[in-house]
Amino acid sequence: MTLADGLGDITRIPGVRGALVVSRDDGLVVADALMEGVDGHAVAALAASLAARMRGVTTVLGQPEPVLLLLGGTEGMLLLAPGPSGLLLVAVAGSEVNVAELRLGVLAAAGTTF
Amino acid sequence: MPLVNFTNREITCKLVYYGAGRCGKTTNLLYIHGRVPEQRRGNMVSLATQSDRTLFFDFLPLELGMISGFTTRFQLYTVPGQVYYNATRRLVLQGADGVVFVVDSQARRFDDNVESFQNLQENLLDQGVDIRSLPLVLQYNKQDLPPDLIFAPPDLDDAFNFRGVPSLPADALHGTGVFETLKTLSGLVLQRLAARPPGS
Amino acid sequence: MRAIERWVEAPLQTFLAESAARVTLLMTSSGQVVAQHGFTRSLDVMSAAALGAGILASTAELARIMGARPLDAVVHQGSAVGVYLAGFETPRGRWLGLVVFGQETSLGLVQVFFARLVADLALAAPAAEPPRQVLAEDFEDELNSSLRTLFGR
Repeated sequence: MTLADGLGDITRIPGVRGALVVSRDDGLVVADALMEGVDGHAVAALAASLAARMRGVTTVLGQPEPVLLLLGGTEGMLLLAPGPSGLLLVAVAGSEVNVAELRLGVLAAAGTTF
Repeated sequence: MPLVNFTNREITCKLVYYGAGRCGKTTNLLYIHGRVPEQRRGNMVSLATQSDRTLFFDFLPLELGMISGFTTRFQLYTVPGQVYYNATRRLVLQGADGVVFVVDSQARRFDDNVESFQNLQENLLDQGVDIRSLPLVLQYNKQDLPPDLIFAPPDLDDAFNFRGVPSLPADALHGTGVFETLKTLSGLVLQRLAARPPGS
Repeated sequence: MRAIERWVEAPLQTFLAESAARVTLLMTSSGQVVAQHGFTRSLDVMSAAALGAGILASTAELARIMGARPLDAVVHQGSAVGVYLAGFETPRGRWLGLVVFGQETSLGLVQVFFARLVADLALAAPAAEPPRQVLAEDFEDELNSSLRTLFGR
């Protein structure tokens, strides 16, 4: 299963507003499945920037790169998971989403297991 | 139209050197670049082929200093002269505030000069510019060559100067007429600005 | 940062802070500078503006020849820095933007915040001023004096 295939699985989770595959270095959209109203380009750029900063933090701390980042807001959340080949998997969800289900879905799509 | 900023009191004008291939356009800029103090000019940008023929344009920014309380800058461009490069000539000509048409005075280049002059008029017309109102100076270059090989300025005036614009003899390689050409065109461009405020 | 018109400063400042761009240049479509940040010499700014305008003009012409829609943006990616060039409409006519960015930011961020800069400029632009007299009647003396100085005569 490719990352792009995984987008479909993620967006089937109730509460998910969109999912993207993002180029980590450029912050550009590689593939997306988004509901109307989600600005894919902005999400991609900001998510890649966030992932790069976290990578910087963990490097300084001598820790391995995070396998999952969760940014929670008052009305929703953003999940990021590094994938293969310099890609990033990003999910955008509303606050009603089942966070545990979404976490598992994103990690599975990114090809990561605990 | 020159770019005028009243807040910072700056004027920037675009001057284009036009003409047939190898007539001396780049030579004009090279001479100017060599004579002007470094703090009053930028580096000369030359987008050229391996055989030193202009491929896209040459560019030389000059800082003239204060004129009527405005910091005045000129941006000098040349166009590629070879017939093949008309698309890029059109691009470089966009927004020109004044043009120097450089004529290669050699008799054997006469037809090339005519073709280039017609090309200038066509390109200006395509851009909606009335050549009759655009500041224009004719430079009759290579006047240093043996008289039997060139046309004299009065003959070149008959052929090209039907508008009665300023025309000057020159030997751009050695600098003769280069400064005078720039001075004349600068005066015309700024005169036009003084007579007609920007945006009108 | 240096802007020819004051109303450009705030939107440009926001863009610089959000995008972390190293060098930013806004110019008219004929390559005359409107605002810049990151250059040390004004004469280098003019060269960069001329080159940037030339690149976008030639790209637009290529698109026209190919029968394609106008290509509004061009990206050059180097090993350490990237260059983003884009044209956009403003109440003052068509302008061009040149952004040089490094690895501390990304193309995606530059693009996103550049789009916001364009929107901010559209909102910030005041009504065009009426034409004003620029030069005094005796400007020619000063012009001649400046040119003589320039040529060391």
